[in-house]
Amino acid sequence: MSAILEIRNLRKRYADGTLALKDVSLRVHRGEFVAVIGPSGAGKSTLLRCINRLVEPSGGSIIVNGVDAVKASGRQIRRLRREVGMIFQQFNLVERVTVLRNVLHGRLGYRNPIAGALGLFSRQEIEEAKNILRRLGLHEQMYKRADELSGGQQQRVGIARALSQKPLIILADEPIASLDPATSETIMQILSAICREDGITCLVNLHQVDVAKRYADRIIGIRQGTVVFDGPPEALDDKAVGKVYGP
Amino acid sequence: MKRSGQLLEDLQKRKKRQIWLAAAGIVLITAWSARETDFSVVSVVRGFGEIVRFIGQDFFPPDFSAFRSLIGPAVDTICISFVAMVVGAVLSLLLSFFAAATTSPYRWLQASVRAVCSVLRNIPALIWALLLVAAYGLGTLVGTLALILTSVGTLTRAYAEILEEIDMGQVEAVRATGASWPQVIAHAVLPQFFPGFVGWSLYKLELNMRASTLIGMVGGGGLGFSIQKGLKLFQFQEVCVAILMVIVLVLTTEFITGKLRERLI
Ligand SMILES: Nc1ncnc2c1ncn2[C@@H]1O[C@H](COP(=O)(O)OP(=O)(O)O)[C@@H](O)[C@H]1O
Ligand SMILES: [Mg+2]
Repeated sequence: MSAILEIRNLRKRYADGTLALKDVSLRVHRGEFVAVIGPSGAGKSTLLRCINRLVEPSGGSIIVNGVDAVKASGRQIRRLRREVGMIFQQFNLVERVTVLRNVLHGRLGYRNPIAGALGLFSRQEIEEAKNILRRLGLHEQMYKRADELSGGQQQRVGIARALSQKPLIILADEPIASLDPATSETIMQILSAICREDGITCLVNLHQVDVAKRYADRIIGIRQGTVVFDGPPEALDDKAVGKVYGP
Repeated sequence: MKRSGQLLEDLQKRKKRQIWLAAAGIVLITAWSARETDFSVVSVVRGFGEIVRFIGQDFFPPDFSAFRSLIGPAVDTICISFVAMVVGAVLSLLLSFFAAATTSPYRWLQASVRAVCSVLRNIPALIWALLLVAAYGLGTLVGTLALILTSVGTLTRAYAEILEEIDMGQVEAVRATGASWPQVIAHAVLPQFFPGFVGWSLYKLELNMRASTLIGMVGGGGLGFSIQKGLKLFQFQEVCVAILMVIVLVLTTEFITGKLRERLI
């Protein structure tokens, strides 16, 4: 099987001297649904953000579908980002515009950098955005302002925005950390179902081990910037959990 | 539980004492300033009668034949306020980028821009006009420049504060889709910036409309200038029309900007 994402010796030191990632190497295959677990401050967010270059890596390489993200130029970063959708803990929708417009933001990477600023989208793009919203059960919320929606609905819009990018990979950084347990369950079901149906590779940061075990094909445990566990959910026994979360 | 109840009671007692102290302080200061300024109720009442007589006899009835000749100055007043607001808004838009903690490239630059704006804002437009009259002579240019200065002072700070409150999470999310810099500005920054921008700019237009009358009186052009001229020539019934026009202008501006704000925000 070919790796869609290959990370080699990734290192990240922040400007204040914090060494957030020490020497991370991992390969993710097309269509895998991977949960990244680890205590707070372990470097999970940093890892995800290096992949789409929201964070500047300090060393190593990140090959996304054949292109090295670490060496990518400004233009290549744009291309890379449009193929990698991102979902956030705080949803991060543009609150003052409509739900539909938020979904259309996923098309910006495909548009002319100047013309896209004017906010013009093709009829086909608008149609597809509406279809995505329909698929997520949000077609009735389409013309509402994003901040009028509940947390769970907002996160579904977040997923819709990522889907409208037609992404190869989705990065989800603690997508359920701001939601109640019932809503969390729904969001995880939607995310995993869609990724499986569409063959999208997905990396989800989670801090609940049980959720990770139920939804993921594979679990990666990070501790203090190092991968300390990498294997199927069945292999994550109490001893392994102890290694990730430590005494 | 008991101890915290006691604490709360103490706190309330102290608060009460503070309020009484503050009240006593205000009364004392008021009495003292009244003495210093020779403020007396008797002279106020007597003066009030004088004002009523002055307005009743000299200002009324308004001489509406002066209306035509006042249209020009009224248009001047509108133009001065509007141009000053627009030019001020454009300049402030550029400056606010340097005055906001989140976007300014250097700390010292941020501090200096803020300091300059504070000076511009805290010296009244009237004083700016007096200074500018000395340099440029009488005319609408002086009024416009004076109001541009205070507009830049006010709006730069207001815009900078809006910029500082922008939710960077939204900006980052749009950036993460592969959007270019102009796209990020247009789709993530502007929607957050726009309502405050419009609100403040319209508010400054209102302020300019009021201030421009005052500035006119020291030679800044517009209706204020006509009022000042009329007063000097004892043409009080014409002045009355000019004042009525000022009131109508100010109220109309308030009404229109209010409606615009409602629709845009
Ligand atoms: N912008 C930053 N500047 C400096 N240190 C940071 C920054 N972001 C994160 N860190 C530090 O890097 C480490 C890893 O953080 P993060 O990737 O957010 O961990 P996690 O998502 O697993 O909680 C932490 O010690 C954190 O304090
Ligand atoms: Mg995190």
